[in-house]
Order: sequence, then structure tokens, then C-alpha cells
Amino acid sequence: MNMLEIHNLHASIEGKEILRGLDLSIAPGQVHAVMGPNGAGKSTLGAILTGRPGYEVTEGSVTFMGRDLLAMSPEERAWAGLFLSFQYPVEIPGVSFTNFIKAALNATRKARGQEELKAGDFLKLMKEKMSLLKMKGEFAKREVNAGFSGGEKKRAEVFQMAMLDPSLAILDETDSGLDVDALKIVSAGVNSLRTPEKSFIIITHYQKLLEYIVPDVVHVLKDGRIVKTGGSELADKIWKEGFENID
Amino acid sequence: MAERVYIAGIDEIPAKISVGKDELLSMTVIVFPGFSGSIPLEVLLKGSGSEVQLRGLYISSGEDKLSFDIKVRHEAPMSRSSQLFNGIAAGCASVSFHGLILVPRDCQKIKAFQENRNILLSESATVETSPTLEIYADDVECSHGATTGSLDPTELFYMRSRGIPETEARTLQMLSFLAPVLSGISDPVLRRRIARRVEKAVRGL
Repeated sequence: MNMLEIHNLHASIEGKEILRGLDLSIAPGQVHAVMGPNGAGKSTLGAILTGRPGYEVTEGSVTFMGRDLLAMSPEERAWAGLFLSFQYPVEIPGVSFTNFIKAALNATRKARGQEELKAGDFLKLMKEKMSLLKMKGEFAKREVNAGFSGGEKKRAEVFQMAMLDPSLAILDETDSGLDVDALKIVSAGVNSLRTPEKSFIIITHYQKLLEYIVPDVVHVLKDGRIVKTGGSELADKIWKEGFENID
Repeated sequence: MAERVYIAGIDEIPAKISVGKDELLSMTVIVFPGFSGSIPLEVLLKGSGSEVQLRGLYISSGEDKLSFDIKVRHEAPMSRSSQLFNGIAAGCASVSFHGLILVPRDCQKIKAFQENRNILLSESATVETSPTLEIYADDVECSHGATTGSLDPTELFYMRSRGIPETEARTLQMLSFLAPVLSGISDPVLRRRIARRVEKAVRGL
């Protein structure tokens, strides 16, 4: 069974159709890159999959691990194992990362019928994932994304992903705002989470990130549908020739 | 520094306070659900270099009727004032905030700030806010603002996408909204004690 099946997806925002018949299948363990020019619908795809308010699905279906994803609330999708690394992570001043991620993790465990993590085990897990992403100890006490640079926010997104351990993670332009060093750290973090069961969708403009996180499949999204699918060599071709010549 | 924290309905809140030369008054007023009444407060900045940091946190619900009537009078040069009032109105609560900053002609090198932010949790709750400036001096750095809105949907979605259930996400949002007022309380023991009560009140909404 595929982890994710998207069939003939049409979606619009404020009455404007963005996705126009998108098909995509992702098997467990695969990394798919979705590339495309501005306005192609890349971020809309991430928004639809995670249930962001304001987007309307007008046609098509999305099945995630055998379940009708579109019928689920955003938190139910998270509990089922879906994660989105936001292109623009949200600042929540006054709430510490520790409390935030603890609330997320424990709610997820509860929904899955697991016990809450003991305080000691939780802190151990925090430390482990922080060191994976080379984050300083003070990070745990900081308020969620408040006053973070663009790069720090992206790194914090991948940290949250590592904590929540999703089955399918969507990385929406995680490379934007990262310098080369941070890109390497974030990529190494993502690569360390790759297993034969977990899948990833990497949404990006550039092929740079795909040199570090090598995808199994590359898709080109244009005008709301996938116009070309290939192996990782497709990313290089796009880099050399641009999106214009792909159809 | 004088730090004062008052809980409406429990502590007696002085209606008039004077601040002398180079003194700093740090004052926080907390209003929990179940309180109805008017809170008049006049602060006189009497001495040069005097400063007041005024904060308010209010959570009104049910049929609560709350009104603040705040006056800050700069009566000496080089005096400073800041005001931050953040509140949540739920149920059928009605809240009004009247804030006045007064700077007379002969009072120079003044800094005065006032901010009033409100969150409405229901359509039947009302907030009326009128921050007012009366400034007759020239050398004054001054700003004021008031907002009334609902909880930010993007924040809410961000938390839910992490698996935080909607109710808990709303609670965290409200605590986040009130946090800047609490962080102004410098005594950590007192701050934590108030923060626990605030959290309980928010969870009870």
C-alpha cells in the first residue's frame, strides 16, 4: 500500500483555482522532491495536505495510510503521522519550545493510546534531537520562534519534526533562508531520520538542497499539475535549463 | 524600585499615586473572571526623572462589566511612562478602557507609551477602548495604540498541525497574548504565582 495517494486534486483559494488535477503517489521510505516556479501551487499542496483553513478542495481525493486525509482535522493528521515544516514558521511569544513540543508530543501519544512521556525521558529526547541539529541548550527555554532569524526558524522546524517522528514529512522551502552551513546541518538531520518506512516530500525552488537530501523521485509542478516526473537527475536538468523548457 | 501587584476585588487599588524625583513605580493590575466594577487610577509623575510602568491583565467572562479609567499626568520634565493593558473578553462580558496621557506645555523631554490590546472570544462580548493623548509640549516621544481582535488563525493552525488539539492550542494562544504583561513583573516568585492563577482562569473560559 502506498503511504500517500493523491488523485485528480483540484483546490482553490478565494475562488481562484491553484491545483488543477494533481496526481501523486508516494511509497513508504521514498523521498519525493516537488519543484516548480513561483505560483505553481507547491505551497498550496502542503497547505491542502495539512488542512490549512482557507483552502477549498473542489475535486479529487487524498488517501494517507489508507485513510481519507481530507476528512481529518489538522491535529488528527498530525496524530496519523503527517508533519509540515512551514515555509514561514509562526512566532508564539510567551510559550517556550519545551512546553510547546511537550504539548504536541503528549497529545499525539494520547491520541495513539500511548502513555505520556515521563519528564526525564522527554528531556533526554529533547537533548538528543537538539544535538542532532547542533542547537544550543538555551534553545529549550526560548519562546517559540520569537525573534529567531529565518535560518533558526527552519532549523527549529526540523527539530520539531525530529521530536514528533512523523511517517510523512513535508518540507516546504526549508532551504530558503539557510546558509550553506545550516543547510548541511538541516540536511544531515533530515537524512538521519530516513528509514525504509518514512517518506518525505521536499518542496523547493532550487536543486541545492537536493544535493544533500538526494530524492528518489523528482516532480515538476506547473500550473497546478505535475508535468514531469523523473529521477534525481531531473533536478540537475532543471537547474541547468530552467523550468521554462520542462513540459 | 517599588513593585506593586494588585488583584481587583481582593486588593485595594489606590486611585491616585504620585511618583517623586528619579523614582520608578512598577505596577500591575490583574482582573480575574467574576469581577465587575470600575478601576480608576491616576498617576502623577511629580519629580524630574520619575517613571511609571503600568500594566494590566484582565480576563472577563459571563456578565462581567469592567472599566478602566487610567490617567497619567506628566508634571515634571524627563519623566517617562509606559502602559500595557492586555485583556480577554469572553461570554457576554463588556470591557471599557479609557486611557489618558497628559503632558503640559512646560514639561519637556518626556517619553510616554500606551498600548491596549484586546481579544474577543465571543460575538456577545464587547470591548470599547479609547486611548487619548493631550500633549502641549514639543519635546515629547510618544505613542499609543489599541487593538481589538480575535485569536490569530495562522497561530492556531500552526499549533494544530503539530498535533496540539484545538482547545489546548487556544489556551496556549491566550497565555501567549497575556505573557508580555506577566513578564513585566520582576519578582519571579510573585510572577509564577500570578501566572499559575492566570493559566487556571484561561483554562476555565
